[in-house]
Amino acid sequence: MANNIGRGLRQALTVARRDFIATVFTPTFLLFLLSPMFTILFGAAGGFGASSMAQGAADRARIVVIAAPADVATIVATDRQLRQVFGRGDIPPPLDVVTPSSDPAAQARARVSSRDGDVDAALYGPLDHPIIVYGNGGSNEADYLAGLAEQALRAQKLGSTAPLSVATKTKIVRTVVTTSGHNAAALFAVMAIFLLTLFLAGLTMGTMAEERSNKVIEVLAAAVPLESVFFGKLIGMFGVALLFVGFWGTVASQITAILPAGTAAALAGVAPAVGKPVFALLFLAYFVMSYLLIGAVYLILGAQASTQRELQLMALPMTVVQMANVGMSTAAAGKPGSTIAWIAEIFPFSSPMAMAAHAANSSALWPHAVAILWQLLWVSLVISLGARWFRRGVLKSGEGPKRKRKQPQPSSS
Amino acid sequence: MSQSLAVTAHGLVKKFGGRRVVDGVDLAVPAGTIYGVLGPNGAGKTTTLRMLLGIIEPDEGERTLLGRDRPREASDHVGYLPEERGLYPQMKAREAIAFMGALRGLPWKIGRKRAVEMMEQAGLGYAVDFKIRKLSKGMAQLVQLLGSVVHQPDLLVLDEPFSGLDPVNQEGLERLIRAEQARGATVLFSTHVMAHAERLCDRLAIIAGGKRRFEGTVADARGMLPMRAHYQPERDGPEVAAILPADAQHNGRDWVFPVADDAVEALLLKLTQSGFGVAGLSIERPGLHDAFVRIVGAEALAQAEAEAL
Repeated sequence: MANNIGRGLRQALTVARRDFIATVFTPTFLLFLLSPMFTILFGAAGGFGASSMAQGAADRARIVVIAAPADVATIVATDRQLRQVFGRGDIPPPLDVVTPSSDPAAQARARVSSRDGDVDAALYGPLDHPIIVYGNGGSNEADYLAGLAEQALRAQKLGSTAPLSVATKTKIVRTVVTTSGHNAAALFAVMAIFLLTLFLAGLTMGTMAEERSNKVIEVLAAAVPLESVFFGKLIGMFGVALLFVGFWGTVASQITAILPAGTAAALAGVAPAVGKPVFALLFLAYFVMSYLLIGAVYLILGAQASTQRELQLMALPMTVVQMANVGMSTAAAGKPGSTIAWIAEIFPFSSPMAMAAHAANSSALWPHAVAILWQLLWVSLVISLGARWFRRGVLKSGEGPKRKRKQPQPSSS
Repeated sequence: MSQSLAVTAHGLVKKFGGRRVVDGVDLAVPAGTIYGVLGPNGAGKTTTLRMLLGIIEPDEGERTLLGRDRPREASDHVGYLPEERGLYPQMKAREAIAFMGALRGLPWKIGRKRAVEMMEQAGLGYAVDFKIRKLSKGMAQLVQLLGSVVHQPDLLVLDEPFSGLDPVNQEGLERLIRAEQARGATVLFSTHVMAHAERLCDRLAIIAGGKRRFEGTVADARGMLPMRAHYQPERDGPEVAAILPADAQHNGRDWVFPVADDAVEALLLKLTQSGFGVAGLSIERPGLHDAFVRIVGAEALAQAEAEAL
């Protein structure tokens, strides 16, 4: 018995070693390893492009006040004061103050309607009854001009634009992580487990298809029980996963040292409720569960398909199910304790992701003991069933004599 | 199990879709012999071998492999070359051989060392670090064959090992099979090419339609048919038929007819005294090819030959 287990383990590790080396020691693995960076870089590049376009448009935008010369100084001073309360991204377009013509209404409309003027909004008339016209997307600017007229009028009535009070501002460094910070950590956990599992399960499925197309599977099946092949493949890809997680875990742990202070401070606010060391352990445990569950299912699918086309067709429903799982888990991350969160935490295939989110949102540890036991039960169930289906799929044989075979596959001789 | 039998099978049955692909096959392969499983296409050879190795389970019957009821338990002592050859294209030749050894329990380090030695002996020393996809089909097949013996198995099972090899490599494979036997291994191989079986096999089984039709030595198989005489008289004519057996056939200048083992002397006397003279006479035991035709039928043989082309 012990001898058989030892032999099975040794054979599984031989298969795992082959799969690990075949996956890791290839140039394409670098692409896989660095894929999150590419995602970030492409996202940043896209964001930068969009931001540049938006900034270019913003640079040309203007707001206009058509005011009598007596009001100009007050309006300009009030505008200067009001702008201080806006953040960098929300600041209104620069103000142009112009002298009224004989028809200020037509003058204002002309400025807003002008093809090259980029005037978002224009104000004319007396400050106590101002009239504002604005173009598409100029609603906020119109509101700003209304406020500007109000404040300018108040300043005129007071006889000064000088501040009436001087505030004392003290910055407090928050030491507790907010609910938003927990939610952000939860979302990160869900997405990390989802993407990792999807990539690796896909790789595992690919190696299975490769072996069927190369006819290597019979060499393996003759030397090694197919259960060992199955476990070997899971272990091999798990090794790849650990490498991936280790690499990006190290990067993530050091990332705050190289980021700008503001960004680093913002990231510091993203923290799990159970604490980082415990969260790291729970994340690893849930990743393992998710990988074993999803990987086993993908491996079974890979064993049934005899062509790449069949493989893709079979993978599609599972990918859709995974999308549903990640949808539920994301909802669980944003609304801990809700019904959808409960469902996501109980449903076996979404449970690892949802419980990782739970660890980010709640400091209670006992639910994790229950969840891990529940998931272990499902892992053992799926793997034991998976190993049998894997055997049937790989060699199209091994079916009991009482069952009818739909697709007989006799040997060639 | 008897100590002297490397493989036994009793009443092996395998059904696919209700069809009995293997139908009650019995085998007894003595240890240390070269044993052939012969049969036309679709006879059930591969399925039988797969059941013997435990790749698939029989629906009925029992088998032992190297004394074990569960073939898997003997897998570290077995080498197997499947009919459908398969290697990882990205693997180096040396690694591929070592990998196949590692699956059977041979440490990687020893496997790599032996792989280099074996490839050098086979004249492929220059290709040890070539990736499989860079090798020709014949070379890749040889690499796989070396992978099946790198762990020095007690039993070597080869499914149609000669298929796809050129005559030079076929001869090399025959040498390797004999060398494995000389090392002490039992060699069990399937083929539909009679010449290889005739040269190599100590014993053989002929399977057709999923059933075993014959089991014994090559001589036993050939002995199922009477010897055949090719007689060329000095003076030929229809009247020669009168001194020959009734089933003699006139084929060109030759008369061809069967001769019983104990009737050779009487035949020689009859021909020399007949007055037609003897320009030529050969009396031969029929080959395995003829025995195979007799056992499985001419139609099955035609199918087998078409497969061999």
